[in-house]
Amino acid sequence: MLPGVIGLVQATETVKLVLGLGEPLIGRLLTYDALGMRFREVKLRRDPKCPLCGTSPTIKDLSIHHATSDTCATEPAGARG
Amino acid sequence: MKTLKEMIAEARQVVPEEGPDQLEKRLKNGEPVAVIDVRDPDEYRDGHIEAATNISRGFLEFRIAGTVADQKTPIVLYCQTGLRSVLAAKQLKELGYETVINLQGGYAKWAQSGLPVVKEIPLTPDQIQRYSRHFLLNQVGEKGQGKLMRSKVLLIGAGGLGSPTALYLGAVGVGTIGLMDGDTVDITNLQRQVLHTTADVGKPKVESGTRTLKALNPDVNVISLPYRITVDNVMDVIKDYDLVVDGSDNFETRYLVNDACYLAGKTNVHGSIFQFEGMATVFAPNQGPCYRCLYPSPPPPGLVPS
Repeated sequence: MLPGVIGLVQATETVKLVLGLGEPLIGRLLTYDALGMRFREVKLRRDPKCPLCGTSPTIKDLSIHHATSDTCATEPAGARG
Repeated sequence: MKTLKEMIAEARQVVPEEGPDQLEKRLKNGEPVAVIDVRDPDEYRDGHIEAATNISRGFLEFRIAGTVADQKTPIVLYCQTGLRSVLAAKQLKELGYETVINLQGGYAKWAQSGLPVVKEIPLTPDQIQRYSRHFLLNQVGEKGQGKLMRSKVLLIGAGGLGSPTALYLGAVGVGTIGLMDGDTVDITNLQRQVLHTTADVGKPKVESGTRTLKALNPDVNVISLPYRITVDNVMDVIKDYDLVVDGSDNFETRYLVNDACYLAGKTNVHGSIFQFEGMATVFAPNQGPCYRCLYPSPPPPGLVPS
C-alpha cells in the first residue's frame, strides 16, 4: 500500500505542474512514515558544489554512466518497484 | 462625438504597448502577468497564446475580477490585430487595474513571429461527460482539461510507484503516457503493482499496463516502451515528453534519470520507497535542487537496499 501513497503524490504533482496550479514540491522533500502515519517536509537547497547543477559542474554529459554501469549491474533488478 | 480613429488614438495615449517578444520574455521568466484574449470564443479556439484566458470583449468588465483578483497584477490584453484590445485595455485602466498593456499587433503578429500557439481540440460529448467533475473546478475547467489532454508524461517503471501514477494520470485524461519498463509481471508484484492482474503473470508489464489504461480511458495514447532505461536510450526517450515521473527501484536509474532530465531541461517528479517509508519531491532544472544535491553519490552496492 505504501507505494500507492507515494505514487499518487507523484501523480498529483504531475497534474499540478501540467496545469500550473498550486505550489509544486520543488525544493521540498516530502517524507512519509506509514507506521507512524506521519508526513514530514524537509527543505532542500541547491548545492553550489553539486557536480551536475552547481556553479562549476563536472558532469556535462552522461559519460559517467558508461563507467558505472558495470558495478550497478550487480544490483538486484526489479527487487522492489 | 468621436470617430473610431480618434477613440483608438486616445486609447493608445494611455495604454502602453509591448511586442510579442516582450510578452514571451515575461512568460519565460515566470512573471506574474495575466494574459487575456478578448476575442470571441470561436477565434480563441482556432488558435491562441497558451497562457491566455479567454474573456471576450463584451464580458470583459464583468468577468475580469474573477480572473485577475489583484488590481496590481500586470495584465496583457490582445485581440486579433490589437485594436479591440487597446479599447478594452483603456476600460480596464478606468476600472482601476494599474498596469494594463496592449499586445502590439495582436495574435496575428504573435503567430507570424513563429511563437507557439495552441489550438483547442473540441471535446466530444463523451469527454464532456467523462471530465465533467473537472469542469466544476474553476482552476481546471475546459482550459485545464485541454492542457492535460495535450500533455505528454513519461513514466519510468510500471511497478509499485508507476502503477498508481499511471492509473490516475490515465483517468484524468493525460493525453500521452509513455510507459517504460523492461520487466514481466511476477506473482510477487501483484500485492502492490495494481496496474497488473493475475492473468498477466509472465507478460511484459507494459503490455498489461497499456491494456489496463486503455480499458480505463480509451482517450489516452499509451506509448509502450518495453525496455529498461539506459544511458544509451534515455536522451532519445525523454525528448518527446513534457515531464518525467521516476518510479524506478534502484539508484543507478535514479542518477541516470536525474542527470538526463537536468541536461535535457525536463522536470523530474521523483518518488521512492523503502519498507514502511517513502519520499517524494520534484526536481525542476534551475528552479531547485537535483537528486545529486540531495545525495551527492550513490551508496556502495549492497549497503542500502534499492
